[in-house]
Amino acid sequence: MARYAMLIDLAACVGCAACAAACVLENEAPPGHNRLWIRQRELGSFPNVIVEYRPEQCLHCENPPCVPVCPTGASHKTTDGLVMVEVERCIACAACIAACPYDARFMNPAGYVDKCTFCEHRVKEGQDPACVETCPTGCRVFGDLDDPNSSLHEWLAKAERVDVLRPEMGTGPKLMYLNTPSKLGLRNPGSEVES
Amino acid sequence: MTAFYGIPGAEAFWHWTTLVHFLLVALAGGTAFYTAIVGLREPGNLRGLAWLSLVFIILDLFMLWAESPARLRFSHIWLFLSFAPLSAIWWGAWGLSLSALMLILLGTKLGPPRFWSGMLALSSTIVLAYPGYALAANAARPLWDHLVLALFPASGLLLALAVLVWLRPANEAAPWLQIAALASLALTALYPLALASGGADTRAALALWFQDWGWFLLGGVLLFLAAFLARRSPALAGACALAGGFVIRSWIVEHGQHSLFVHGF
Repeated sequence: MARYAMLIDLAACVGCAACAAACVLENEAPPGHNRLWIRQRELGSFPNVIVEYRPEQCLHCENPPCVPVCPTGASHKTTDGLVMVEVERCIACAACIAACPYDARFMNPAGYVDKCTFCEHRVKEGQDPACVETCPTGCRVFGDLDDPNSSLHEWLAKAERVDVLRPEMGTGPKLMYLNTPSKLGLRNPGSEVES
Repeated sequence: MTAFYGIPGAEAFWHWTTLVHFLLVALAGGTAFYTAIVGLREPGNLRGLAWLSLVFIILDLFMLWAESPARLRFSHIWLFLSFAPLSAIWWGAWGLSLSALMLILLGTKLGPPRFWSGMLALSSTIVLAYPGYALAANAARPLWDHLVLALFPASGLLLALAVLVWLRPANEAAPWLQIAALASLALTALYPLALASGGADTRAALALWFQDWGWFLLGGVLLFLAAFLARRSPALAGACALAGGFVIRSWIVEHGQHSLFVHGF
C-alpha cells in the first residue's frame, strides 16, 4: 500500500501547458473537457506585478468529499490513496461533481464522470504520470508519502512554503503547491489585478 | 485577472431536466406523504390518491432515467446493490422504490392498509427530505445552505398540496396548504439571513445572487404569502403555491450549482 501524492513547484512552472497537452494525449479526454488545466493569475499592483501559473487537477484528497455522496460506490478511494471512478458503476448523477470543491470532475459525454487519475495505469507499471514525465522545467514530482526515500520528502524539506487549495474545506489534498510566487498563498483573490 | 489554459469542470452539471425532477420528486413525495396520512386516519377514504401518487413517482423515475447520460448503460441497478447511507441519492432511490411498492399495495387493497400507510409515511418522508440533503451535503456550493434541509421538504409538501387542492377541490388538503405555505414563507425569508451569517464564500455567493437574481427570492416570498392569504380561494392559493415552490426550488438548484472556485475562491 502506498499514499501517492504530487508536488508542483509553482516558482518553476512557466505555464507552457505541456502537462495539459500530455494529459489529453495520454487519457484521451473528450473535446471540450480537461482533466488538467492551467490557471493564470496576475497578482499585485504596478510596478510589483507577477503572473502566477497554477496547474490544477484532481487533488486525490485524504478525505475526498466526492466519495461519500456517491450512491453506487463508483467514486472510491483505492488502498493506494487514489480517488477513482469505476465507470461501470457510475450513474452520472453528478453528485460527486457537486461535492468537489476544486471543479476537478466533469461529465464525460460517454455517460460517466471523469477526472484525473494520477495516471494510475502508468503508476501500476512503475512509470510517472504523463504530466510529471512531460514537464520541461521539472516542476512536478510524484511519489509515495509513506516512502521515506521518495523525492517528495526532499522537495518538501527544501520548499520555502507549501500550500494546498482551499485548506478550510478539510479535504487533505495530496496535490501540494510549493513556493507560490506571490508569497501570499494560493487564496488571495483580493490581490488580483483587475482588467 | 484570471485566465485558463484548458477548462476546469466549472460548467453547470445539472440542466432543466433536473429542475423538472426536483418538481416531480416533490409532487411524488408530497402526495405519497398525504396518502399515508389519509391512510392512517381513514383507510377507506383513499380513493384514487394512491394511484395519483404512483403516477408522480413513475413520472419522476422516468425523468431521472431519461435525463441521465448513463441511461443506456443501465448502471442504475447499482443503486440497489450498494450500501451508501451517506449518499442522499441512495436514500432517494430506496425511498421512491419502497413508496411505489406501498402505494401499489394500498391501491390494490392487499394487506393491512394502516400498516402499509405507516410504512409509506416513512418512505415518503425520505423522498421529501433527500433532495434538500443532496444539496446541503455539498460544502463546496455555498448557496446550498443547511437551511434547504428544511426548506425543500416544506416547499415539496406545499407543491404536492397545491396539486391536490386542484385535483380534489373538496378535500382536506386546503388547510394543510396554508400551514405549508406559512412554513415555506418563513424558511424562504430566513434563507438570505442564513447565507449572510455564513463564511466568506457564502457571503460572496449571496452578493452575486442579489446582484443578478434577487427578485427570485422576492417573487417566491410574495407567492408563498399569497398562497397563505388566499384562504377563500383554494384554487388561487394552489396556483400561487405551485408557482412559488417551483421558482424558489429551481432557482436554488440552478444557481447554487455554479462554481465560485473558478472565480478565484
